[in-house]
Amino acid sequence: MVQPLSGQAIYVILLRELKRFWRAKARIIASVAQSFFFLALFGLGLGGFIGGFRGTTYLSYLSPGIIGMSLLFGSVFTGVSVIFDRQFGFLKEMLVAPVSRTSIILGKILGGAVTASIQGILLLAVAGLMGAFTPTVTFVIGVIASIGVMILITAGFVGLGVAIGSSLTDFHAFQLLATFVMWPIFMLSGVFFPIDVAPPLLQTAILMDPLFYGVELLRWCLLGAGTPLLGPFGWLIALGVLGGFTAAMVGIGTFLFSRAQV
Amino acid sequence: MKKISIIEVNGLTKIFDNEVRAVDGVSFTVEEGEILGFLGPNGAGKTTTLNMLSTLLKPTSGTAIVNGYDILKDPDAVRRSIGFVFQDPTLDTELTGRENLDFHGRIYGLKQDVRQQRIKEMLEVVQLTDRADALVKTYSGGMKRRLEIARGLLHHPKVLFLDEPTLGLDPQTRRAIWEHIERLNQEKNITIILTTHYTDEADYLCGRIQIIDFGKIVALDTAENLKARLQGDIVGLTFKEPADLLRIRPLLEKIEWIRRIDAVAGENNHAAMGRMMQMMSGIPEGLGMGGMVSGPSPSSNNSFGTSRIPKQVKESMALGMTGARDQVNLPEATRLHLLVDNGGHRIPELVNMVSDTGVVLESVELHKPTLDDVFLAFTGRNIRDERGSMAETMRQRRTIREARG
Repeated sequence: MVQPLSGQAIYVILLRELKRFWRAKARIIASVAQSFFFLALFGLGLGGFIGGFRGTTYLSYLSPGIIGMSLLFGSVFTGVSVIFDRQFGFLKEMLVAPVSRTSIILGKILGGAVTASIQGILLLAVAGLMGAFTPTVTFVIGVIASIGVMILITAGFVGLGVAIGSSLTDFHAFQLLATFVMWPIFMLSGVFFPIDVAPPLLQTAILMDPLFYGVELLRWCLLGAGTPLLGPFGWLIALGVLGGFTAAMVGIGTFLFSRAQV
Repeated sequence: MKKISIIEVNGLTKIFDNEVRAVDGVSFTVEEGEILGFLGPNGAGKTTTLNMLSTLLKPTSGTAIVNGYDILKDPDAVRRSIGFVFQDPTLDTELTGRENLDFHGRIYGLKQDVRQQRIKEMLEVVQLTDRADALVKTYSGGMKRRLEIARGLLHHPKVLFLDEPTLGLDPQTRRAIWEHIERLNQEKNITIILTTHYTDEADYLCGRIQIIDFGKIVALDTAENLKARLQGDIVGLTFKEPADLLRIRPLLEKIEWIRRIDAVAGENNHAAMGRMMQMMSGIPEGLGMGGMVSGPSPSSNNSFGTSRIPKQVKESMALGMTGARDQVNLPEATRLHLLVDNGGHRIPELVNMVSDTGVVLESVELHKPTLDDVFLAFTGRNIRDERGSMAETMRQRRTIREARG
């Protein structure tokens, strides 16, 4: 079936996500605070014990990974919220409107990507204030590039969330989702240590984690270098893999959402 | 005045995965500007029919034309023509009332100035202007319902579907919502299809009522005509002693305008009256069971031709005049139910006749046919009998709970 896109519909649903996000200030603060504790505890605490870390501080190394964590949790949550939209009925209001389901879900994905990225940017500022980055001209360009990377990461994971949310019909599976999907993705994304020091089996697992490539890209943007394992053009590889992942997830999420019954 | 049909439903059928025939070959037309009510118990197929007409659900077979558009071929145009107020709440409670309306206006492509104007207008219609900027989660059940109705009308639909519009609301709010619905229908000429399992709601609002049971239409007519099918009123005479009853009964049996006499023991019994009406109506018992009863089912063709009913009525009346009269002869009975036309006019005559014999009446009662009786007659069941799936019942309870909260 042909599903014409409506820019207006995408925009309206994006607007709704932004309004709801803005209303839930407590959740934003909680989320940023949680990431801040990670940065303070590991970055400053553990970092103080480790000392210098491959020509930079451990806090600097850790920051892109913690931003990645925040992006992951924020975006998957928004994606899975299609369950809540169904449970609380608002989904019907959207589905009975004269717009295609594709427009609806693209609006949702865009909304989730923008709101999760705003959290990521807030965290970037917090890390900056803690002294994680050296402010240079290239760094400013890097920050701008990192915002684009954040949108790419979050769009993919909202898509994943939508795919999961469209397949599940109740939210009791939420705990399982956190334990078996989000937590492994986070832990294997190379947040705490460089991948090249890991044993081969673990290395393979990390290389299969899409968020790893996202965090790699953020490191390239914010620190100017990634893991030596991927070589001098590691960012290009990371961009390719992440782009593929995001495209696939947006496609799968859209497909599953379009098929779902009211 | 020429009537234009705005909805034409043709053999609409929905069979769910579990092989339940939720809607079974339904055909009917809806005229522009009318209020049509689907009356039926939970699980009868009312909501499923609406979901198909609004393109939310794909029919297994059959189709319908809504406002000139086919629900299968042109679902977007159908959705542009309709408004839908769902049975369960579908508002975003994290947004304000105004924002909910604004969302709706935008997604239906209303321009900024038109949108603002209509939002203002609709808020006034449902009297929510002063609470428009409060979050919906702070609204009462009645306010939420009113907001949903306002939202369903914002884009000026040609047809408005209302699924159980007053489920769980208090009497005042129900009355206010009925008045809104009526006004919208009259002032804006919006065609309204509503589902309900409240007979008083159907009676008050609907020009025509469609009784739907087990996925089939068992009757479609005005409330008045449906009641008229029950062929008369019931006059209840209560005597002090069973002996009095036995004395009077032979005299009543001689009166030709009394079409049937039942003796009833015990307290006033509406069910007995309803059953009496049903027996006399010529509507075969269990008609609504559709395919579940054996033999030719009159409901399958959905036509209630005028030629068929009177013949059955005649047969049934003949039965009433002979056999059935002697069937009910309880020795302890102190009460007689008489089936007559124009019961109100016959009461003085009956009372005079009884007092001429010296027998003292304890009470006299007149029972006019109600839609409840009509429903009982057509389906063989009381409309308040719980059926429907567990999930549906739970969902309705939630709606009721939230409406009251």
